[in-house]
Amino acid sequence: MTALISIAVIAPLLGGGVSLALRNHRSWRDAAVLSGLGLPAASALVMLAAVAADGTHTVAVGGWAPELGIVLVADMFAALMLPVALTTIFVVEIFAIGQRRARWGADPALSGPLMCVLTSGVSLAFLTGDLFTLFIAFELILVSSYVLLTHQGAAGQVRSGMTYVVMNLLASTLFLFGVAFVYSATGTVNLALLAERIPQLGDGVRFGIGTWFLVVFGTKAAVFPLFSWLPDSYPTAPTTITAVFAGLLTKIGIYAMIRFHTLTVMDDLGPVMLMVAAITMVVGGLGALAQSDIKRILSFHVISQIGYMLMGLGLFSVAGTAAAILFLIHIMPVKAVLFLVGGLIENNEGSSSLDRSGGLAARKPLIAVMFAVPALSLAGIPPFSGFVAKLAVVSAAIDASATVAVVAALVAGALTLLSMWKIWNAVFWSRPAADPSPGPAVRSGAKTMHSATALAVIGTLVVSLLAGPLLDLSTQAAEDLRDRSVYIEAVLP
Amino acid sequence: MTETLSPIIRLGTRAASPFAVIVGFYLLFAGHNSPGGGFAAGLVFGAVLALRTIAGFQPAGNGLTLLAAGAVISASVALMPLAWGDVLFDQQVISTELPLLGEIKTGSALLFDLGVTSMVVGTVVAVLDGLGVAEFAASPAEAAASPDPATAGEAGTAAEAAPEAGRPAGHGRRPDSGEAGP
Repeated sequence: MTALISIAVIAPLLGGGVSLALRNHRSWRDAAVLSGLGLPAASALVMLAAVAADGTHTVAVGGWAPELGIVLVADMFAALMLPVALTTIFVVEIFAIGQRRARWGADPALSGPLMCVLTSGVSLAFLTGDLFTLFIAFELILVSSYVLLTHQGAAGQVRSGMTYVVMNLLASTLFLFGVAFVYSATGTVNLALLAERIPQLGDGVRFGIGTWFLVVFGTKAAVFPLFSWLPDSYPTAPTTITAVFAGLLTKIGIYAMIRFHTLTVMDDLGPVMLMVAAITMVVGGLGALAQSDIKRILSFHVISQIGYMLMGLGLFSVAGTAAAILFLIHIMPVKAVLFLVGGLIENNEGSSSLDRSGGLAARKPLIAVMFAVPALSLAGIPPFSGFVAKLAVVSAAIDASATVAVVAALVAGALTLLSMWKIWNAVFWSRPAADPSPGPAVRSGAKTMHSATALAVIGTLVVSLLAGPLLDLSTQAAEDLRDRSVYIEAVLP
Repeated sequence: MTETLSPIIRLGTRAASPFAVIVGFYLLFAGHNSPGGGFAAGLVFGAVLALRTIAGFQPAGNGLTLLAAGAVISASVALMPLAWGDVLFDQQVISTELPLLGEIKTGSALLFDLGVTSMVVGTVVAVLDGLGVAEFAASPAEAAASPDPATAGEAGTAAEAAPEAGRPAGHGRRPDSGEAGP
C-alpha cells in the first residue's frame, strides 16, 4: 500500500525525466511517457481495491510524524478519484501519440514529459494530507499547464494564455495567503489537525477562512463569477491538452473544496454555495448555446457541469456529498472523451467550427456514435452515467428542499441537451459544406486516435454500468468525509 | 561581441567564477542542516554559467539533458527506499571518519540535492540556449542580420518563442518531422 501511494506520486515524475532524456528517440520516449502514466493508473486501481477492503491508509513521507512532515492519505474519496483521473490522462496520452503528426497536435517531445509532471501534481493533489502540499500540487499542475497551453506559440494561445496565467497566478497567490492565514489562526496546515482546530475558532475567523478558500478553489474550478479565464483559453490549446484540462483541472478545484470544506465543517457556507452553483449551471448552459465552435461549446459545458458538483457539496448532507463525488467520477472521463471526439472531428474536417462541417454521421458513423454516447451522458439521459449522477444530485437537493437549485439544475440540463443537439445538427446531420473537400485530413495515426477514443467511450460506459456500486462507494466516502473521525484517526493515530 | 565587451566583465567573470563555484559546492553540502541546499547551489552554478556564456567564454550546452538527468536522479532517490521496505523519501545516513576533516555525516539526501542542482542548472542552460544568448555573444552581426528566432534556439524545444499562427514554431526542429510526410 505504501508502495502504491508512492508510485502514484513519484512514478510520473520519473517517467517525465526519462522521457525528457529520450526526447529525440520517438518510440522510447512514448514508452517512457506511457509507463510513467500507466503505472500510477494501475497502482491507483489496486489502491482503490485495497482501500475498499482495509480502509484509509496513510504514508508519512520521509518517516516524519504527521504533525511535522508531509503525510499522504488514501481515503475512500481520494482512492475513488485517483484511478478515474489517472486512467483518463493515460487514454488521452494514447490519443496524443496518434495525433502528434497532425498540424494541430501537441509537440510530443514537450507535451509528453510535461503531461507526466502534471499527472504527478494531480496524484499529489488527491493524496496530500496538508494544505501547503496541496498548494505545491496545484503549482505543479499549473506550471506545466501554462507551458502545455501556449507551447505552440500561436497568437490566440498567447493572448488567452495571458488571461489564464494571470487569473491562476492570482488564485495561487490568494491560496498562499490563505495558507498563511490558516497557519496563523491554528498553528498547523495538516488537514487532520485543521479538522480538529478550525471548528473551534470564532465564527468570524472560521467564516473568513471558509469564504477565502471558496474563492481560491472556486477560481480553480471556474465557478460563477470566476470562470472568465476558462472558455477563452481552453479551446485554443491542442485537443489532447484541452481534454486533460477540461476533464481534470477544474474538477481538482472541486475536489479540494469538498475535502477542505467538509473536513472543516463549513456548513454555514451551504446557501452561498448553492446560489453560486445555480448561477454557474445556468450561465454555463446559456454560454454554450451561444457558441458556434465545438471546442467552445464544450468549454462552456465544463462550467455548467461544475455547478452540479458545487450544488452537491453545498447541500452539506451525506447524500449531497455522495452525489458530488459520483458526479466527479462520471464527469472526468466523459468530458475528456467529448474533447477527444472534437479532436477526431477536427482531424476529419480540418476545423472544429460548426459552419465548416456537416453530414459526418453518413460519412463517419463511428465518430457519430462515439460523440453520441458521452454527449447523451453529459446531458443526463438514461441509461448513461450522467443520468445517475444528476439524479443523485437532484434527489439530494429535493431531500434538502433546495428548490432554486433543483430548478436551475433542470434548466441547465435542458440547455446542455440543446447545445449538444446544436453540435449534432451542424456536424453530423446537416448537408456537407458546399465544397466536399475532405480538408487536411490526417491519415497516419488515425487508427491510434480512434482506438483511444473508443477505449475512452468504453470507459464511460463502464462507469455507467458500475454506477450502482460506485454510488455505494461514493456514499461510503461521503459518510467518512462527513464523519471526519475516520480521516482524523487515520492520520493521527 | 566578445571584442566589444567591457574588459571588466570578462576579467571579473573569469576571476569570480572559481570562487562562485566553491560557494555553490559549499551550499550544496551545507544544505542538509543549515541554510543552502541543492536549489540554492544550482542557482549559483547557473549564475556562473550565465555570466560565462554572456561574456563569451563558452557556448551554452544542452540544458534539457541535464534537466532530465536531475529529474531521474531525484525521483529515483525518492523511490529507492521502497526497494528495501522503507517509506517514501526516507534517507540513509552515512558517517565516516576522514583524515583532516574529522567525522563526516552525509546521506542519500545529498544525492537528491545533486539531482535538484542539476535540474536547476539544466533549466538555466536551457533558458540561455532558448534565448540564443550564446550566439548573440559570439557573433553579434549575424544575430542582428537574421532576426529569425529559428536560428536563435536550435535545440531549444523548451522555448518555442516564435509566435507563428497555426503552426507550432518548432516544426522544422521536431524530431518527428522526418517521418511526418504523407
